[in-house]
Amino acid sequence: MNISPINICLLGVIGLVAVGFYGLLTTRNLIKVVIMLQILVKAAVLGLITAGIISGQLYITQSMAITVIVADTIVAVIGMAFAIQIRRQVGTLDTNELSSLRG
Amino acid sequence: MAAFLVLLTIGLPWIGALLVLLTGNERPKLQHAIASIISVAAGISAIVLLWFTSDQPVLSIPMGSVFGVFTFVPDVLGVLLAVIANVVGSLAVIFSIDYMKGNEQLGRYYALVMFFIGAMAGLGISGSLLLMFLFWEITAFCSYALISFHNDDPKAVAAGIKALIITQLGGIGLLVGALIINSFIGSYQISVFMAEAESLPFNVLVLLAFCFLAAAIAKSAQVPLHTWLPDAMEAPTPVSALIHAATMVNAGVYLVARFFPAFEDVPGWTTSVLVVGMLSALLGALMALVAADLKRALAYSTISQLGYMFFAVGVGAIFASQFHLLSHAIFKALLFLCAGAVIPAVGTRDMRQMGGLRKTMPFVFTVFIIGSLALVGLPVANGFFSKEFILEEGFIYGPIWAYIGMLLGVGLTALYVSRMVFMVFYGESHGDEPIHDGLFWMRVSLTALAIGVFTTWLLAGVLSDLMAQTLPFHGVHAIGTFELAKEIILAPATWISIAVIALGIGIWILREPLAGIKNLMRPVARIIENRLGFEQLNQGIINVTKNLTAALHLTQTGQLNWNILGIVGMLSVLLALLFIGV
Amino acid sequence: MLETLIYGLLVGVAIFSAIQSLRADSLLRSAIWLAGVSVLLSIVIYLLGAHQVAVIELSVGAGLVTVLFVFAISVAGDEGIGERSLVPKPLAWALVIFSGLLLMYFILPIKASFSTISKTSLTAVFWEDRSLDLLVQIVLIYSGVLGLVGILAEAKAPLQHSMVDEVAAGRERALQEMEVKAASEVDPTI
Repeated sequence: MNISPINICLLGVIGLVAVGFYGLLTTRNLIKVVIMLQILVKAAVLGLITAGIISGQLYITQSMAITVIVADTIVAVIGMAFAIQIRRQVGTLDTNELSSLRG
Repeated sequence: MAAFLVLLTIGLPWIGALLVLLTGNERPKLQHAIASIISVAAGISAIVLLWFTSDQPVLSIPMGSVFGVFTFVPDVLGVLLAVIANVVGSLAVIFSIDYMKGNEQLGRYYALVMFFIGAMAGLGISGSLLLMFLFWEITAFCSYALISFHNDDPKAVAAGIKALIITQLGGIGLLVGALIINSFIGSYQISVFMAEAESLPFNVLVLLAFCFLAAAIAKSAQVPLHTWLPDAMEAPTPVSALIHAATMVNAGVYLVARFFPAFEDVPGWTTSVLVVGMLSALLGALMALVAADLKRALAYSTISQLGYMFFAVGVGAIFASQFHLLSHAIFKALLFLCAGAVIPAVGTRDMRQMGGLRKTMPFVFTVFIIGSLALVGLPVANGFFSKEFILEEGFIYGPIWAYIGMLLGVGLTALYVSRMVFMVFYGESHGDEPIHDGLFWMRVSLTALAIGVFTTWLLAGVLSDLMAQTLPFHGVHAIGTFELAKEIILAPATWISIAVIALGIGIWILREPLAGIKNLMRPVARIIENRLGFEQLNQGIINVTKNLTAALHLTQTGQLNWNILGIVGMLSVLLALLFIGV
Repeated sequence: MLETLIYGLLVGVAIFSAIQSLRADSLLRSAIWLAGVSVLLSIVIYLLGAHQVAVIELSVGAGLVTVLFVFAISVAGDEGIGERSLVPKPLAWALVIFSGLLLMYFILPIKASFSTISKTSLTAVFWEDRSLDLLVQIVLIYSGVLGLVGILAEAKAPLQHSMVDEVAAGRERALQEMEVKAASEVDPTI
């Protein structure tokens, strides 16, 4: 089997996505949720760059990757702001107790 | 030019809705003004669109390969619907200036009414089945929101939900039909479907025909899905006039009329339409006869008259059905708006507590009589020409038992209309004195509609001409107005029905001597008052839907982990499907 | 072969750091392992040939975001919550591994190699072709800042006294003092 670096990178994407989703499924702490989201987004960035290499359109995917990184940083910032404020007002960071918006 | 007019007809009311919401409830005069001016402008643009009808799409918005192309085809079937929606809509809005005076939620009211008007116009003009379904759903939503407008009244809310569930179940029929058509023919365009309808496999065509019929029955409140319409009278009266008499309930008639050439060869379809029409005409008339609430009586009358239109489509007289649609919209809106003038003036909806209003509300009495003339079908009013035309076509092209049923309906119509007029306007007053005889803006709308009752039949020639030009599949042949009038007046069917009408009115006037027969009919009346068991059927449908939604509610936990589980679960299902597909 | 090994090592350690971030007992360690993932990924991206993105990933992921997390954790408290999640762990494992295997089935057969890159430079593509992306990023940053300020604003306590009341209260006090002084001045003369 001829495993090239591209395959390794794609395996890495799958692995990180798996870790990220498992974390989202099992964590109850709001800050940990944001951390897992960050892991997922890093996997996505790696995937984008790898796709850019495969198709030869590296510059377009680099631009997209920059946009994605900016977006996910903003998400982290807002998420942290939420965590701080919720901790102050509600007193807990447990996502199970934060469901006042019940269906 | 036509594209611009189409955009105006649909878009102006929507822009008006937005503007009314933005001006806020602190400036009610401005809201009234905006709503009236914009709806009148939209009405004018719809009328001008009549000069630009064609059977080719004038506006096409490609929406990608999934949704097809959203086209707008202003053929006369659709433009008629748009004109009725906009013109009657503008008159209802003008009426609301006085009816809704002092209400604190004007913004919501006007916005919903204008949103509805635009969507109704769009329903008629759209040439793509998916776009038509979109507008259909918008009208259903606006109807629900307006029925439960007084949302602190539990009866109104229950009525709104009932109307929503029943009409939406019909809407499923329309969606399923649209999807089937797309999967077999490859396009959502109505014109393409009509041209290639014969190429569909036979059982698919049958399924399609009955799906569309179900959607039409639910929307037009025909038997057996009719119980939502009388309950929907909890809405403010201008809303009842607009939505539940003149426009939304016509959408079902429009649907069967438009797709008639495609489905007329399906065995049993035209007969079903005919039977549904006849049953609704008779049932509606019977229930109007025993109704005590003025608006409910008018609602049952609407069901009955829509039955006439369905009957006309069933025998193949498309032009007759559309002509009666036009007449009915005008005179029924007139009658409802009169009710809207009477009910706040005397403070009750119960006809048994009215009476003698002929002397105290002369203006409203006059226009109500004009509307009743049209409803009964006496000469000079537009209802005469359209109803007699339907009966004549039914006599020539339909089975004789259906014709006799419809004739019976005509007599019953005369009977219940006489009863209504008498209970409200004649006799001694059983209740309070009315506080006004129709305020200024109410009188404006009522006068306009009354004039319409006497004049719209003159448009018959123009209408049939346009139909012959712009409906390539329907095979309507043009006929001039006076030719039509002559034909109607001279037809034997007309004389028979006038005799039946006279019989009906006579029975009412002579009801004291005929009291013996009335006592015989009393048990029958009690069965009719219990709505013949249809109420249980419809309530059963509502209860099943509500229980289903309550059960599904359990899956919305609001917990993050479960939601992520849903996402990951879906992902694995998709991957598994792809894997199996490979 | 060596190249593959290096890549494999880097990606392997990155996934290991991610798993450690998942299983860390305090949030602070979780954030540090996240920074580790960021560093390793940025090296991989650099080796793949996307230099600019690698630098950005390093500075933003390992720098900005980590500092942000440390700050937030220090304010919001570090205790981990008893990790008994609602979704039973075996189910989560099963789903994730199942999806992962299916994805691997689809991805592994991709025969890929480094293909030639077109000649224009990144700046040309970034600033001209993707200028809409830039606009979006600017809007995002702006709304992010607004959101941050809005969320973190202290809930203002309703003002106990308005200005008018305060001035009136001050004047009354002054009047009372004068009266007291007048009274105390008058008294000795009596």
